[in-house]
Amino acid sequence: MREQRRKDAVWRFLTYTFVLTATVVMLVPLYWMVVAASLPQELFIEFPPRLYPGTSFFENFTALQERANFVRSIGNSVFIAVVYTVISILLCSMAGFAFAKYEFRFKEPIFYVILATLVLPIQLLVIPLFLMMSQIGWTDTFRAIILPWLANPIGIFLMRQNMQSIPDALLESARMDGATEFQLFYRIALPAMRSSVAALAIILFLFQWDLFLYPLVILEDAANYTIPVALAGLEGTQRVYYDQIMVATSLAIIPLAILFLFLQKQFVSGILAGSLKE
Amino acid sequence: MSTWLPNDDRPGADSDAGSLRSRAWDRFRFARQTYSRVVPEVGPVAYLFIAPFFILFTLFLAFPIAYTLYLSFFRYEGVSGDRWFWVDLGPIFVEVPQIAELQFVGFGNYVRILGDGLFWQSMFNTTYILAIQVPIMIGLALALAIALNASFLRFKGFFRTAIAIPVSANIVAYSTVFLLLFNEQFGLVNYALATIGAEPIAWLRSEFWARKTIIAAVTWRWTGYNMIILLAGLQNIPQQLYEAAEIDGASRIEKFRYVTLPQLKPVLLFVVVLSTIGTFKLFAEPYVITGGGPTNATITIVQYIYREAFQSWNLGYASALTVIFVAIVSVISVIQIRIGGDN
Repeated sequence: MREQRRKDAVWRFLTYTFVLTATVVMLVPLYWMVVAASLPQELFIEFPPRLYPGTSFFENFTALQERANFVRSIGNSVFIAVVYTVISILLCSMAGFAFAKYEFRFKEPIFYVILATLVLPIQLLVIPLFLMMSQIGWTDTFRAIILPWLANPIGIFLMRQNMQSIPDALLESARMDGATEFQLFYRIALPAMRSSVAALAIILFLFQWDLFLYPLVILEDAANYTIPVALAGLEGTQRVYYDQIMVATSLAIIPLAILFLFLQKQFVSGILAGSLKE
Repeated sequence: MSTWLPNDDRPGADSDAGSLRSRAWDRFRFARQTYSRVVPEVGPVAYLFIAPFFILFTLFLAFPIAYTLYLSFFRYEGVSGDRWFWVDLGPIFVEVPQIAELQFVGFGNYVRILGDGLFWQSMFNTTYILAIQVPIMIGLALALAIALNASFLRFKGFFRTAIAIPVSANIVAYSTVFLLLFNEQFGLVNYALATIGAEPIAWLRSEFWARKTIIAAVTWRWTGYNMIILLAGLQNIPQQLYEAAEIDGASRIEKFRYVTLPQLKPVLLFVVVLSTIGTFKLFAEPYVITGGGPTNATITIVQYIYREAFQSWNLGYASALTVIFVAIVSVISVIQIRIGGDN
């Protein structure tokens, strides 16, 4: 018995050590990023590196703004991601509603065709999309960044799955009360899907937020750059201003990390819902 | 569909015509008839519901997939100026802008891939990174999930949040942070090595260490993500199984081996497939951290496709590379599912 207790204590100690180490490893890069952003360039490239924040964050920020207008890139990214998320949720849930609650011809084949594209790495469609956008003169526009990904196969799959749980009798009684089909969708189905919509919103937002290769190809004017493209551009310049770059990465990462703290439940259900994929 | 409707096939339902009850039944029958007519009438509405999705899907997903396949048999010779071609659809004649100036080369692009040293190098790099990164990450994620699932652990919420927070980090932003963390002169990693008395490492100048840097970065970003999925899987294992194992006197390792692993297998398999495909698609990290170097030691397949397409403008050849790449990814995921499904 005492032997068992000793073993348990050792096990507990090991578990805590492991979890604590992992926590430190995960947080240190973020902490160091903020520290680096607040140091003047001279201190930054010093060895040994300083491990506590300095006071130059706002100076670095001003310098960054003068050089690259990073705030504008953040605005672009937020605008694109929000518009994309809202429209895509509407399209996916409308189509998901139809697939869950209506019978119509070619329902199964259409659904399976859409489902089949789930396994494809769709980000790789850059080449044909680039040619199409060049042809219709849409390069360097936000609509070129938003439109191609609106019909998201994960979105329709998720919404169909969850909309199936809405009882038919509920829709039927609303129909009896004279509701139109579209009212059934946005008055009854959509409100009932609040948690699925939140999860899907997280999936879609992060998808668009992290999109890099495609906007890198499509966007030309620096004023239209999204965060990832702007960051890649900062790094490509001849003289690299690390302090300013760290301000930029802080501004890219910290707001979303804070959002993660507050909306953790939704993030987790988004990750789990996205993992239904296969 | 109509559970609330009374069954009107009862014997005698038709016989007492004229009575109040019969009229009620008539009304029910009528309602049911109109109802059953309503269902097919909903059809066109359903098409309206799926139309926006379906149109965008066809234009921006189905067509580009087909067009990639088509392009892979051509050599790209520039954007077509004002070229149009005509499509004869019987009664209507459609004018379609030609998307690009193309030269048919048959299987030429595919033959070229076979002898393309840089393509095989990028295949090797990607596989190398994958073969090390995925097992390490899944192992860590599983260990962390088990630790966080332990009943005695306190501050669970805090630990879970801290470990999962990289999930929210923008890909290019975090890659840039890692570029500086692993800087040879002033990076934090070399500083940590110095404090324990080790020699500094030229992370980004050596083939061996450059690959390890990419592996470290990807592992940092995705371990928490996989941990969340595995944790949900662990929480779905019925507690009774563990209690039964305890009664049989199973040790911790035996419980892991005979209860946790078999119960978690589908989730584990899923996470492995997802991570394999994810690492196969690696682009931003090597683009930002190593630029594919040194001497192409970290160039990945997607990065090579990007170079061929948008720096050398060999769009036809890059399309052929894409087709091969997608084929490989699909084969790998099918194999993994097969292997996992057999045991």
